[in-house]
Amino acid sequence: MAEAIQKKLQSELEKYQQLQKDVSKSMSARQKLEAQLTENNIVKEELGLLDSQNTVYKLIGPVLVKQDLDEAKATVSKRLEYINGEIQRYETLLKEMERKSEQHREVLSSLQQEYQRAQGQAVGKV
Amino acid sequence: MAYLHDQMAATGKVKRSKDLPQGVERLKEEHRKVVKDCRSQIEHWNKVEKDYESLQERLRTLPDKLSYDIMVPFGPLAFMPGKLVHTNELTVLLGDNWFAKCSAKQANTLVEHRKKHVKNALDDLQKVMKNFQNRADFTDDLKKLTGDTEGFLDIREEVINEEDFTKGKHRLAHKPNSKPKQEYLLELEEDKEKKEEDEERKTGLLSEEELWARLDELEREEELQDERFRLDSTDTNGEDTTSSSEEEKEAESGSGVQVNGHQKENGWVPSSITSQMNGTNGSHPEDEEVEDCDEEAGNGLPTIYFSHTAEFKKVRINTGKNTTLKFSERNEQKAQAKRKKKSGKRNGHSHEGYKITSPADIYRVFVDLVNGEPIPRKSILKSRSRENSVCSDTSESSTADFEERRAAFGRSWSHDDATHSDTSDGFTGEESPTGTSPRTNGRFEAFTGTVIEKDPLSCSIPHLTIAPPALPTIPERKLEEVGPEALQEPPKRMSKFKATRLHQT
Repeated sequence: MAEAIQKKLQSELEKYQQLQKDVSKSMSARQKLEAQLTENNIVKEELGLLDSQNTVYKLIGPVLVKQDLDEAKATVSKRLEYINGEIQRYETLLKEMERKSEQHREVLSSLQQEYQRAQGQAVGKV
Repeated sequence: MAYLHDQMAATGKVKRSKDLPQGVERLKEEHRKVVKDCRSQIEHWNKVEKDYESLQERLRTLPDKLSYDIMVPFGPLAFMPGKLVHTNELTVLLGDNWFAKCSAKQANTLVEHRKKHVKNALDDLQKVMKNFQNRADFTDDLKKLTGDTEGFLDIREEVINEEDFTKGKHRLAHKPNSKPKQEYLLELEEDKEKKEEDEERKTGLLSEEELWARLDELEREEELQDERFRLDSTDTNGEDTTSSSEEEKEAESGSGVQVNGHQKENGWVPSSITSQMNGTNGSHPEDEEVEDCDEEAGNGLPTIYFSHTAEFKKVRINTGKNTTLKFSERNEQKAQAKRKKKSGKRNGHSHEGYKITSPADIYRVFVDLVNGEPIPRKSILKSRSRENSVCSDTSESSTADFEERRAAFGRSWSHDDATHSDTSDGFTGEESPTGTSPRTNGRFEAFTGTVIEKDPLSCSIPHLTIAPPALPTIPERKLEEVGPEALQEPPKRMSKFKATRLHQT
């Protein structure tokens, strides 16, 4: 009886740990996205400071490709929107994972209690 | 940063749930970690800013010459002589793999823009660091507070002889007299409320008492604060009014509680009873001045036991309305005096034995002199002060009670007071004349004038009707007025006290 509970406990624990890892992964991805967000914001502002006389280049691999200023501005804006969307997605994902991990935590605690009780009984029996 | 914050907060919370010393330690650790991180980040950003500044310098000087002779890095280990040309044409990395060709001046503008961002980041970091530093300090203090007792002084106001306090209250006092009072009320049958209140009183005595005690406590605290305030500040008026208003509020609340009790006792009650009532209601500081006594140090912390002083210095010039600092003070003083008297501890008979240490004392004395019955005077004064001040619940009698009393006895006084108040410029309410009187007596210290302002209408109506008849000597009257609370309360509340005092005097 105690052993069965122990096995259950172990499996639950593993699941919980996995969940935690996922949470941390999503967290870091979200942080990266946030950094990109700030960077793109700066780029957008600086593009605004330039005038059409300056040529804008985009680095694609080892090549600097000439770009139009307006095009560049549009591209950067689109990228910003994309990043925002990604962040939102990650946010919801994180919340969901948090909820699930909470559930797992509860299950774990109850299992633990059961296990201890079983242990106590076993000891008593012995 | 926000993430860090949340982490910190989370860990902090977790820490707090643990044992205090361990938790505190851990909390401090985490705080320190955050602070360190902040510091390192600030350093980093400072470096970045310096780099940008040197870059700007370079940009300024670069277009000076058409070309420069330089040593060009050739691979990781070698240099070769070369020329730097097109000195004004720069390809600037805008971020995220975007480049722009621009002149030196334009590049300068871009750099300025970036520096702004860096400054913002720096400010945020500074704020966070300061925040966490404060938190860390606070946890330190917390630890000290709970653990060590060094440097912390607990200031308490000991309420010795709580029974005295409660006894002084009309509720307790009334118990023995409750019957006669009830009868009285029943006889009157004018106010059904009285009856109801009587009943209520009986049943809700305890609760009222508790409330009363609590209110007194609050009042005392307020007064303490006000005293300190007054002592510290030069602008007595402003402070007084604020403090008095605070007291008023307290008194109001207190009066609200006491109203039931008071009403039971209406002014018709014989003086002794009323005195009891007053005593109970105004179970507030007597005219005694309380000394700081370091008594029973029951805590680990060195404790300063402070007892409320019933100084009338709190008499204030009423700039606003309803300043009743005096009122509550008087109550406290009365209560303390009573307590002291009963306990026989602190000052002993100081206040009772004509030891005039505060204006209230004088009033007490004068009250005795003027009338055979100081009680009514007190009540009158109180009622007046109460009228003006909402809180004025120091005296037991409710406003009705007071008015009755006034009608019976103190009309002249009140009228006088009213006139005084009218005439006096800065003073509003009755307290002002009373405030001046203590000064004139020369016994009182500088008066930080708390004038308890009573509704001129309420008091004036009954009072004005009566022409100023032969009144007791002005100083006396003023004294009476000044110490309406003190006078009113002690007589009511402490009939015994009064009796002893009278005997003594």
